[in-house]
Amino acid sequence: MNDLDELKSLLFGAEKQVLDSIQERVQKPETRVVDVADVLPEAVRMSHRQGKELVRNLRDPVGQCIKESFHAEPQEYADALYPVMGPAIRKSITQTLRAFAQQINQTVEQSVSARGLKWRFEAWRAGVPFGEYVVQKTLLYRIEQAYLISRENGLLIEHVHHDASRIKDSDAVSAMFTAIQDFVKESFSPDRTGRLETADMGDFTLWAVHGPHALLVCVIRGVPPRSVRTDLSAILERIHFRYGESLRVYSGDQASMGGVEDELRDCLELEELQVEEAGQRRPPVALIVLALALAATLAYFAWQRYELAGERARLLDGLNSAPGYFVAGVERDGRRFSVSGLRDPLAPPLSEIALTAGIDPARISADMRPFQSLEEQFRLQRAVESLAVPSTASVTVDGKVLRLSGTATREWLDRARSLTAVAIPDYEFDDSALQLAEIAALHDDVSRLASADFYFVEDARFRESDVQRLTNHAATIRDIADRARRLGLALEIIVTGHTDGLGAQEFNERLAQRRVDAAVQQLLRAGLDPQLIKPSIDVGAAGTAGALPTRRKVDVNLALSGPD
Amino acid sequence: MNQVNSKVCVVGDFAVGKTSTVERFVNNHFSDKYLTTIGVKVDTAEVDLTQDLKLKLILWDIAGTTEFKHVEMAYLRGMSGYILVADGTRLTTISAARELKTQIEATHGELPFVFLLNKSDLQHAWEVSDRQREKLVNEFSSELFVTSAKTGDHVAGAIARLAELIAERELFGPQ
Repeated sequence: MNDLDELKSLLFGAEKQVLDSIQERVQKPETRVVDVADVLPEAVRMSHRQGKELVRNLRDPVGQCIKESFHAEPQEYADALYPVMGPAIRKSITQTLRAFAQQINQTVEQSVSARGLKWRFEAWRAGVPFGEYVVQKTLLYRIEQAYLISRENGLLIEHVHHDASRIKDSDAVSAMFTAIQDFVKESFSPDRTGRLETADMGDFTLWAVHGPHALLVCVIRGVPPRSVRTDLSAILERIHFRYGESLRVYSGDQASMGGVEDELRDCLELEELQVEEAGQRRPPVALIVLALALAATLAYFAWQRYELAGERARLLDGLNSAPGYFVAGVERDGRRFSVSGLRDPLAPPLSEIALTAGIDPARISADMRPFQSLEEQFRLQRAVESLAVPSTASVTVDGKVLRLSGTATREWLDRARSLTAVAIPDYEFDDSALQLAEIAALHDDVSRLASADFYFVEDARFRESDVQRLTNHAATIRDIADRARRLGLALEIIVTGHTDGLGAQEFNERLAQRRVDAAVQQLLRAGLDPQLIKPSIDVGAAGTAGALPTRRKVDVNLALSGPD
Repeated sequence: MNQVNSKVCVVGDFAVGKTSTVERFVNNHFSDKYLTTIGVKVDTAEVDLTQDLKLKLILWDIAGTTEFKHVEMAYLRGMSGYILVADGTRLTTISAARELKTQIEATHGELPFVFLLNKSDLQHAWEVSDRQREKLVNEFSSELFVTSAKTGDHVAGAIARLAELIAERELFGPQ
């Protein structure tokens, strides 16, 4: 060191040290970095406050940085944006749906009912679109449990549930759910990007909402509206926003996720409000209509069943009380009845009994075997039919008496008497008003032959022609006499001899007698019973002028009487 | 007491005794039917590590296989450790276990595990010679356990060892 240097160090020693140190700081990049880092935040702040120069200058490099980062690690950005993207997209969708709901609203508005008007008023008061309000009113659901599960390893991060829910080991449930989801994804999703989002199990619905690092699985009782999924997504997004990094690296230490339980509990609390509302809510209209329809259907079937049972009972009563029926069974097949048993052919037809019971005969089929009933009316009817009553006669039933009237042959009468004695022995047989055909015929014949005249030439000598006529007449009378005897009737043959008034009375009387005798002689010769013959004379009045050939005769008269 | 949950997979060839081995040690929640339907069944087991730290093992009992397919690979995702099970009465199951271990390490890197050579009660059918056993001891050192699912020999010890390995790794990071 020379003198000058020594002097310099004496005069400026301290300053030189400062200069050296400044030089060193300026020349060494590390120290410059530290210095700039110290002032940079404040410099940026001041520059930004002074004008837009800084923003303009940074726009390009920063834009380039972001672009490159996006390309390098898109998943990171997707994960980072997840909490903000969801709400933004949802808001947009909500706007669209609201417009759609208004359309539905207009449609629903067409339907006017007391409940519709009430809901409309309540919706207006609550400031909610009517369509949305209807949806709220008609859905019932409740979130029973919520699992927050790590997507990476299936470990359960947190689990909340209503106190009443029956819980298995939630860690095992969470793992098993993850396993099943993996299984479904690997088995049924061709590119393995699909996710299990919904599962239905009886009264419960299982919803899984997927986030980048965790999934939220909710066990829901009932049918939740789609909007609940949006609420659940919002909760999951919030959890990602608060616990993003802890979620990503979650390896089973629940302490690292302190407070997440409160976030998750929002799922349950949100639904509890809904349930309270549901408590005041009346059951949905569709359910009531369905229940009413069901009740009406059941009532109709019950009524129909009751009606059919009544019809069956009436039919059975009718058949049991109808004469000539023996019922083995009445079966019902739908609205039809089938009757089986025995029926007397004389019994009233089945259709008549059906009509009396108020049933359309077309609904009845019958399998009836014929039989003969011993009931009185059928015995009587059958007996009367078996009599084969001739058209000239008639039978009437008067109490327990069978009365005959008209005309019939004795043969028929005898057969009828014996038939009724067998078939209806408890009936009396009254034929007092019945005339035997044979008697009637005899009367006819007698009246036809009642009076016949036979003439004489003179004295007591018959005309030639009348001799033969009298012989024939006598034969006819003998036949009648035979018939009368058989029928128990009395026949009188009155033979009267006549003369005119010429001559003496005494002479004429003798002549009349001789004429009668001649006729009786002829009759006896023909074989007639002399006891039947009653002779008499009729002499013309004395003093009558001239001879009267018409009085030279006998007449033969018949008289039938009896049987009394 | 603090609790940490860890996913552990139980893997090995068919009929080596995976399910029987863990069965005596776990809380059963699901039917074995799942093994034949979806190929996995989950059980849980709790191991007290210290007085105030408990490790809950979520055991994924995976249906027997000699090679992992897509579904099984999905089941392995996110596990903290695994239990390899082989059958001492069938040498092929040991090589199958080695294959599975290689496959796991290729996709998940080094992870805590224990190797269970099962069915020690069937000595008459035992196929592993002393020399082979020596080789296995060299290969797996303290992670090798000769167990019997039937008598329960060494099963609890093996699972406790795995719990320790997992806890060390979780607390201190991979060695």
